[in-house]
Amino acid sequence: MILLFIVLFPIAAALAILLGAPARRTALWSSGVTLGAVLLAYFGGFETGQSGYQMVTSFPVSSDWKINFTLGIDGLSLMMLLLTALVAFAAVWFTGEIAEHRNAFYACLLFIAAGAFGAFASLDLFFFYAFHELALIPTFLLIGIWGTGNRQLAAWKITIYLATGSFILLLGLIMLYQAVPEAARSFDIRVLQKSAILIPASAQGNIFLVLLLGFGILVSLFPFHTWAPEAYASAPAPAAMLHAGVLKKFGLYGLLRLALPLLPAGAQEYNTLLIYLLLGNIIYVGLVTIAQKRLDWMLGYSSVMHMGYIFLGIASGTLLGTSGAAILIFAHGISIALLFAITGEIRQRTGTLVLEDLGGLGKLMPRAGLVFGLAAFASIGLPGFANFAGEVMVLFGTFRNGANPEHFSIYQIATVLCLWGVVISAVYMLRAYRAVFMGAIGESLGGVTDLGRSLRVPIGFLVAITIWFGFFPQTFVRMVTPTFKSYFAAAKQ
Amino acid sequence: MLTLGHYLIVSGMLFTIGFAGVLLRRNIIIIFMSLELMLNAANLSLVAFSRFRVGADGMANYNAQVFVFFIITVAAAEVAVGLAIIVALYRARQTTHVEDISTLKF
Amino acid sequence: MNSALLPWFILLLPFLAAVVIVLFTRRWPGLSSFISVLAVLASFAGSCVVFATPDIQALELTWLDLRPVLYVPLGFVLDDLTKTMLLLVTGVGALIHIYSLGYMRDDSGKARYFASLSFFMFSMLGIVVSNNFVMMFIFWELVGVSSYLLIGHWFERDSAAEAAKKAFLTNRIGDFGFMLGIMMAWVATGSVVFSEMHQQLARITSYPDYLTVAALLIFCGAAGKSAQFPLHVWLPDAMEGPTPISALIHAATMVAAGVYMLVRVGFLFEASPPALWVISWIGTITAVMAALIATQQNDIKRILAYSTLSQLGYMVMAVGLASGQAAMFHLFTHAFFKALLFLGAGSIIVMLHHEQNIWKMGGLAGRLGITFLTFLVGTFALIGLPPFSGFFSKDAILALAYERNRAIFWLALFTAFLTAFYMLRLVVVVFFGKPRSDRARAGREAPWVMIGPLILLAIPAFAAGFGFVARLFVQLPAEQETGWLVPGMALGATVAGALVAIILYRNRQAEPIDFAPFRNRFYFDELYSFLIGATQELLAKLSAFIDRWILDGAGIRGASTATWGIGSLLRLFQVGNLQAYAFLFGLGIVGLIYFTIFR
Repeated sequence: MILLFIVLFPIAAALAILLGAPARRTALWSSGVTLGAVLLAYFGGFETGQSGYQMVTSFPVSSDWKINFTLGIDGLSLMMLLLTALVAFAAVWFTGEIAEHRNAFYACLLFIAAGAFGAFASLDLFFFYAFHELALIPTFLLIGIWGTGNRQLAAWKITIYLATGSFILLLGLIMLYQAVPEAARSFDIRVLQKSAILIPASAQGNIFLVLLLGFGILVSLFPFHTWAPEAYASAPAPAAMLHAGVLKKFGLYGLLRLALPLLPAGAQEYNTLLIYLLLGNIIYVGLVTIAQKRLDWMLGYSSVMHMGYIFLGIASGTLLGTSGAAILIFAHGISIALLFAITGEIRQRTGTLVLEDLGGLGKLMPRAGLVFGLAAFASIGLPGFANFAGEVMVLFGTFRNGANPEHFSIYQIATVLCLWGVVISAVYMLRAYRAVFMGAIGESLGGVTDLGRSLRVPIGFLVAITIWFGFFPQTFVRMVTPTFKSYFAAAKQ
Repeated sequence: MLTLGHYLIVSGMLFTIGFAGVLLRRNIIIIFMSLELMLNAANLSLVAFSRFRVGADGMANYNAQVFVFFIITVAAAEVAVGLAIIVALYRARQTTHVEDISTLKF
Repeated sequence: MNSALLPWFILLLPFLAAVVIVLFTRRWPGLSSFISVLAVLASFAGSCVVFATPDIQALELTWLDLRPVLYVPLGFVLDDLTKTMLLLVTGVGALIHIYSLGYMRDDSGKARYFASLSFFMFSMLGIVVSNNFVMMFIFWELVGVSSYLLIGHWFERDSAAEAAKKAFLTNRIGDFGFMLGIMMAWVATGSVVFSEMHQQLARITSYPDYLTVAALLIFCGAAGKSAQFPLHVWLPDAMEGPTPISALIHAATMVAAGVYMLVRVGFLFEASPPALWVISWIGTITAVMAALIATQQNDIKRILAYSTLSQLGYMVMAVGLASGQAAMFHLFTHAFFKALLFLGAGSIIVMLHHEQNIWKMGGLAGRLGITFLTFLVGTFALIGLPPFSGFFSKDAILALAYERNRAIFWLALFTAFLTAFYMLRLVVVVFFGKPRSDRARAGREAPWVMIGPLILLAIPAFAAGFGFVARLFVQLPAEQETGWLVPGMALGATVAGALVAIILYRNRQAEPIDFAPFRNRFYFDELYSFLIGATQELLAKLSAFIDRWILDGAGIRGASTATWGIGSLLRLFQVGNLQAYAFLFGLGIVGLIYFTIFR
């Protein structure tokens, strides 16, 4: 029942705001309460170390179509819920002054959160897909109405891109559904997982490819990434936080939840292709990031680049790497949300994000400098933050796949190249940090003020949790590995 | 002896005259009349087909003649509606020339 | 107190201090510095207890446990090597904390400085106690960050900001190799814990080439941190940081971490002779090259920085000659005398209002008496004059080289000559002759809080080399059978270098020699920025161009533009003329009839 509450409460709050409830207070309270509910689910009730789904609630919706509204979580989805709750809470808190349609803005934020909650907690393919679409629409609105810069174009671009991705994804899901023999067909992910062995290996390849394409477009897999930086640069900060931090991860979650366990042979078949593409994400997009001249574009590209490491974990084909991918999803979500949050604050105060015009903000905004520094170092995989744990696991896991002292296979070569990506990411992040916060104070930046004190709360939450998981990633590993262990055990049979 | 071919040639000529009228005349009412001409050309060919296509039992095929009645009915209704539109158009624009009515474009 | 928790306290106290300062006491610099000093003193006391307790064990926590694939504990290794390093790091660290109270007295970022310093102590201690590669790597990078923070302490200065960035990035390049090496060693031995790797060494020695590559990659990490050729470029620039930082991080402790790591996993290197050969030559090249550059520098801190490079080269050379003991011995003595030299330089700099050019000093011997005397002690130790500590440790390395590789020995001897030359040049120009600027004429002795640490450091700088003292702390290398030949030659080279410098630089007003390659540091910076510009920058620009104009432009925008274009072409048919439509319609019908009937 608590899952039902987590999914429906933000929707109820959003509707209340649309009907005229005080926007900011309602949104803050509801996102805070949802965060509390997720923590309650985590600490009271959820049993870590179990591989099955827990807290399952199910309501029949249509018996003709065999659609049920089923919610349930395992470690992986609980982790995603936690991420969503944290980032949504922070995003609402970081929303500054909204000039027009204030209530609608907050309602959109809550709708995104609700959609993400629903997608991550659903055990039914229909709702899994539908909730994600529910979250996408307010994203387009947020960019198109409240965005900055060339917002119309950005909103159109992301709309067309993600709609195409969703459409391909839908195609893949239908193919997946059709591939199971008629008697065993179901929308229920649990049932599908059991009947996955019935899908012939020859059919798996095509389905996997379509799913990879669909999910990949949603996650900005190279070469379908050009929507991301533009959209994030135009989006208002809370929207960028929610999309880059949470909603984008839906694609990765989908790959981990559906493609890997249901189509192991297909995954094997297209692993090489995936590795080539993710190298594009890491090396090529990494280089593109270095050449950026605006902070928001740089961050947008950097988030595209870091998706490559998560894809590497998915492609690694080892328990270590896959668990690392899950951790990286969480860690990256937190760090990029913080980065976009601070960037939004800087934009509000200085009115520009061109690196050349900024400088010396460390003197004027020491708190912002500290938080941005923490998040920036986290995102480039500095030890002590959860991102490092994820990267280590992904890289170690990939390197170990088929390792042979006599010669290197594609996995080892990919690991080496991706490791070089860590250097690349340090280059662009430190450059940006140096340009924005260090050096002489930029002209026309005279009266810039520091972050408000109340922002300590969301920042504290995000930073504390990523440092905790950085020093004790085992808490995380215990949460997510049972799920993946069951995948690999099933794949071996 | 009049054969089916003769009828069809007359029908084709009527149709062509009607079509040319539609394409070339500028007055909507004339165009409208030309349209009627085209319909009647079709009617003529239908009746001719009906008369000349005799089945094995010696009976003519009357399906085509039923078709003609339909066309006449529809044409009557069309004239009623079409003239009404033309009158409304004339009231709005003070003209019945197609060249003056060309706003339906990009 | 439970003795299993004591090492954790040593490690975590500085961290706690840093956290408390950042979160709560940022606005009270005095209180912040007090907390920081207190934490390091407590750590030092704890280290003393650990040092005196044999067979001490520490609680082990789990960082990551996916056995049997990968197990990474947060565990301590507490052997003699670690205990000595603990003592060294906390001891020198404590003195430098105290010295900083004076040096940074009026700095506006004092709280931030002490927070970073505490954070550095935490990370450095972490490296020293780690019992596995991944944990070591964690602290390894954290040390890099604290170094970044401290070099960039005066971040509003462009040169400091650039230097901090350069230091971090150069280290990252080294760490790239380090990480890769760790992975290779892990895959082969199945563990990242040092003791288990040592046991499983046979599994990797059966692939000698693989082992060599892995060992050299791990050495990359050490080369980055210990600033060995070709990753040495960051260390001289790192002198942009406050001088106590240069003393602690960029002379005594952090840069020695690379050497410490090499000694810690010496078993890996000693299994691979080709790797050892490469390491010894890298060390030698660094030693000679840095010493040559040092002879022509004018900034007092840069001279010391290059001398640090050169001495680190000696240590790496010793590792390469398969004697971890000799390397550790030199690391041990070097920490004291180099910290002493930097602190001495620091008090000169601060009393001359941040003047660092040695040609603007002069005649300071009389005015800064204690500083001068302690600086002299440090100099004699560095150039290896008996009976100062440096003589013994450098002699151990020279004797080793004499035994194992004659070519390296001659180069090392030449380096000893150069060392004496550039150090005496420094001393003569700075302390003797006439003051060459108004600031030099007005210089006064530093306050006690700065002088005190100098005196305390001068004692071990003098005495740490004696066998009976050193044996308490480090395992001394076995005596080599060279008799008096090697020490004699070393002494000869040193005295010769010193004499040449004195004769050449006595009573000079300006530099008598001008040799551009040395002065311009063999053009490494220029070469590297050219290489970076030619590869990374160019590739980045190219990729950005492709992304913007080809992928997004031609691909994505192209698709949308094509749709628009076709639409506007088709739009041309919409002329608005009824008869035109009718004509097209008719044409279409004719076409349709033609295609259905006649084709």
